[in-house]
Amino acid sequence: MKKIEGLGIAVGAFVVAVSVNAWAQNGAASGAPASVSGASAMVASGAATPETGRKANRALRRKVYAAISKYREISAGSISVIAKDGAVTLNGTVTDAAQIDKVADIAKGVPGVTSVTNKLTVQRPFGGQ
Amino acid sequence: MKSKLSSAAALALFASAAHAQSSVTLYGTIDTGLLYQSTTASTFQPNARNTGSVFELKDGGIYASNWGLKGTEDIGGGYKINFKLQGVFNSTNGKFGLADTPGATAIFNQYSVVGVSGPFGTIDAGRQIVPMIYAMADTDVRSAQYFGSILTAWLGMNQAAGWPGTSTNAPIGALYDSNALVYQSPKIYGASLALEFAPGGVAGQIQGGTRESAVLKYSNYGLNLAAVYYNGHDTNPFPLTYPTAPAVPATGLDNNRFYYLGALYTIGGFSISASYGIGKNPANTSHVNFEMASGGLGYKFSSVFKVTSGFYYLKDRNNSANHSSEIALGAEYNLSRTTLAYAQVGYVDNRGTMNQTIIYGAPVAPGVSTTAAMIGIRHSF
Repeated sequence: MKKIEGLGIAVGAFVVAVSVNAWAQNGAASGAPASVSGASAMVASGAATPETGRKANRALRRKVYAAISKYREISAGSISVIAKDGAVTLNGTVTDAAQIDKVADIAKGVPGVTSVTNKLTVQRPFGGQ
Repeated sequence: MKSKLSSAAALALFASAAHAQSSVTLYGTIDTGLLYQSTTASTFQPNARNTGSVFELKDGGIYASNWGLKGTEDIGGGYKINFKLQGVFNSTNGKFGLADTPGATAIFNQYSVVGVSGPFGTIDAGRQIVPMIYAMADTDVRSAQYFGSILTAWLGMNQAAGWPGTSTNAPIGALYDSNALVYQSPKIYGASLALEFAPGGVAGQIQGGTRESAVLKYSNYGLNLAAVYYNGHDTNPFPLTYPTAPAVPATGLDNNRFYYLGALYTIGGFSISASYGIGKNPANTSHVNFEMASGGLGYKFSSVFKVTSGFYYLKDRNNSANHSSEIALGAEYNLSRTTLAYAQVGYVDNRGTMNQTIIYGAPVAPGVSTTAAMIGIRHSF
């Protein structure tokens, strides 16, 4: 029992550590939001691309989601879209393999998207084949 | 003559086009693993005792093994006729899965439906997995899998409400409903609605055995939201001692109610979920009234490897001594596009009369805390 609890805590701590790391990267990508602790280093690098960059990234992210959600068979709620200066990263899941490329194509077709990194995977739905 | 001929030709063309677009698919999944569990029970009876630890070959570490046939025929004008016949089987012994009636199995116990889809949405008629299950799966990081998930938590509520586990006719909500008509709306800005009505088919009793449910879903911007309402009449009619004690006759008694709210958010490789649900017997709230809460966190390390975890809490609103907490942690590794290897561990702390299981199909005794670990493989074809 204790071993298993220990394992759980270790994995939990690991997940948190990775999480912090990922958030930091996300913060840098979106031009260093002030809420992120230890953002001082990023503010310096973000000075060249101030508010407008962050706003533009958000706007582009919204545009990509709007484009994906036009396709009724795709669940945009299971897809992560992160935009940074025209570079879009897709993550999360779709329900069949054909949708992986389809979502990437949709994202590429959105004006302002310069590149797409595709990390989507298939999650077979409950009761699915 | 000419016009007749041309129309006949047009019909023939149309018919051949429609035939060309129809298809039938045979498909399935086999999911088998090795399970160790520190305690077991032979039934879900309130007096069931811990029969000791078990090591076994177990079906369904992710979902039950199943197979099916499905097909679609394009009838033109944007309309399609769809059918699906699908059932679970136990990969360890080849037996079919549970039917509505205790002691019986059904070949197509997951789906036996025919329906129409078109611009209006989809309608399916027959036995099927009901919308509330998809709503729960969509808002659980562990996707309502068979090992430690919102599914085992919801089943735990059913066990506490007197479900013997020997049929698919449950006292709180449902996984499968027979005789069901389910409408699924198209998505509009990510929002969609599913409505279910199942006539009971009970002679002389219009409300007898009927079920109705509604699910409202939102899926956009990385966020899945779901709200569930389910209501059933004359559900779980089989006493714990059936067939020694006979089934309760259908009188139109409103005895099954389930509410659920859930959310799942995906950002980068992370997914996080939370939910809350209430299950009760509206005709006997002082005996059957439970609460369910969950939280989940997952991380996808790469396109082939992910880890998911979940916490599931059950509470008897009539007696605070009866509660249950479960944690589950699972790792999934895709060996190929169709084969998945998995390892998972779970722990459940059952108190009072609670007997929440860690994995579907491996009962534990009331009030007995249990640890389970499983490794397995899942192959789709």
